[in-house]
Amino acid sequence: MELGFVSFFCELIGKVIPLECMQMRFMQEALLGLILIAPMAAVAGTQVVNFRMAFFSDAIGHSAFAGVAFGLLCSVSPDLTMPLLALLVGLGIMAVKQRSGLSTDTIIGVFFSAVVAAGLAVVSRYPQAARDMQMFLYGDILTISDAEIAALVGLLALFLIFQYFSFNKLICVGLNLQLAKAHRIHVMIHQYLFAALLSLIVIFSVKAVGVLLVTAMLITPAAAARNLASSYGKMLWISVLISLVCAVAGLLLSAQDWMRTAAGATIVLCTCAVFCVSLLFRRRTRS
Amino acid sequence: MTHPLCPNCAHSVSFEHVYVEHDGIRILDDICASIPRGECTAIVGPNGAGKTTMVLVLLHEISYRGTVTFHGYAESRPRVGYVPQSLSFDRGMPLTVLEFMAAFHQKKPLCFGVSRAQRERLLPLLEKTACSHLANRPLGALSGGELQRVMLSAALSQEPELLILDEPASGIDFKGGEVCCELLDRFRKEKNFTQLMITHDLSTVAAHASHVICLNRRIVAEGNPHRILTPEVLAATFGPHRGVPAPGAIPGTAQNLPDSCCRKES
Repeated sequence: MELGFVSFFCELIGKVIPLECMQMRFMQEALLGLILIAPMAAVAGTQVVNFRMAFFSDAIGHSAFAGVAFGLLCSVSPDLTMPLLALLVGLGIMAVKQRSGLSTDTIIGVFFSAVVAAGLAVVSRYPQAARDMQMFLYGDILTISDAEIAALVGLLALFLIFQYFSFNKLICVGLNLQLAKAHRIHVMIHQYLFAALLSLIVIFSVKAVGVLLVTAMLITPAAAARNLASSYGKMLWISVLISLVCAVAGLLLSAQDWMRTAAGATIVLCTCAVFCVSLLFRRRTRS
Repeated sequence: MTHPLCPNCAHSVSFEHVYVEHDGIRILDDICASIPRGECTAIVGPNGAGKTTMVLVLLHEISYRGTVTFHGYAESRPRVGYVPQSLSFDRGMPLTVLEFMAAFHQKKPLCFGVSRAQRERLLPLLEKTACSHLANRPLGALSGGELQRVMLSAALSQEPELLILDEPASGIDFKGGEVCCELLDRFRKEKNFTQLMITHDLSTVAAHASHVICLNRRIVAEGNPHRILTPEVLAATFGPHRGVPAPGAIPGTAQNLPDSCCRKES
């Protein structure tokens, strides 16, 4: 199914980037998908880095295994079961954290193990499922569909609205819960909404770079930005810029004849290179 | 000191027979206490005495039995300013002092910068706590004393009617603690808010508090610190603490007193 607005933007990309590889529809769609995912991953990544939630996003990423598994078991498309299970896992972690005295790491560890085990159990029972799993292990942005791009547009709109109203409040919640509550911030609402949106962003990022590298896609641009920024606001914009540039550069490089590498891995390698350069600048600033 | 909304109320907050239990363990046991309006009240007691729990009850952060009444406020609860013992943040986070202060008040996301209106409102507050030179410095680069003063500025930016401080002098040297307490005394007189602080430091209590609540899961004593901080009361409050004391196990505690649930200064 081809969507009108997707075709319009794909043609626009073809004209703006006159490279041979970018004249193919699947490459144009992949770039469009990345342009939508990268800023969301960068903003969410900034909050993940500052509030030490990397393990949370890792667990959500691994829920892709169980999402595919449940899709196979119920004969439903993984495109539907993966986001649903990611949401369930994200909100489940938050709910158990609120109600139990256990540490966050322990709770996430339990959920992490459960979703990976569920995925492996299905693979061992249905060996043909291993091929689908491999796709999610390494990611495959080149197969992104118009429907997925439309879903990403919806998610981006929701995410921007949420950030507009919650960006400052999330900073307060991350610093001290009691302090945030004393300032009459509805802590639980912001925590649950952030967990839900982060879960969806992570699961869409799995499509781009795979389960193994999803945390890197979130964290590395934010970590590099942190080395360069003098304020929280600037950190966010630098992170978005790094994420977007690396996503575009990674996709273009991966399509070159002399490279011929997986797009997701190349994108993450680009962000890692930027991180290394940011370390040098950080040292210069300090000296 | 009275309040225009409640001229007959000398107290800002009163606890009446408040109990808190968690997993079958009684953390607060029959708490009857009051916090005088416009003055500095200190809650003292050993670790595990329930000091922070008492504050959580005030903030409605924990379920409890009994009654907590706020007297003479326009709303059902006063505007509360809270200075926590610490902030849980990664010290490498580039959040500046001004961004930290503005995060609590500004509606526009901070990624678009701190608005001029917020700058004009917050910088004088930082000036008052001798922190204006720190406005653009990252929060993680501050010393313990500087961070405490910045948190105090953030709490004052709420224009609180009740200011709660959790161990305001913890993690900072004696001089830093003294500066912080003197600032608080000055602001309290200026703004006429009620101050409640949790502390271990009895010299701070003697120098700055006009009312003290000695707590060890029960109220041991309550009143003017110069009169009630006797060796007996201190022994009963800070004595060996091994779980919930059996009834009558602590000599001189409120439960041995004949007239009420807690011993008050006459």
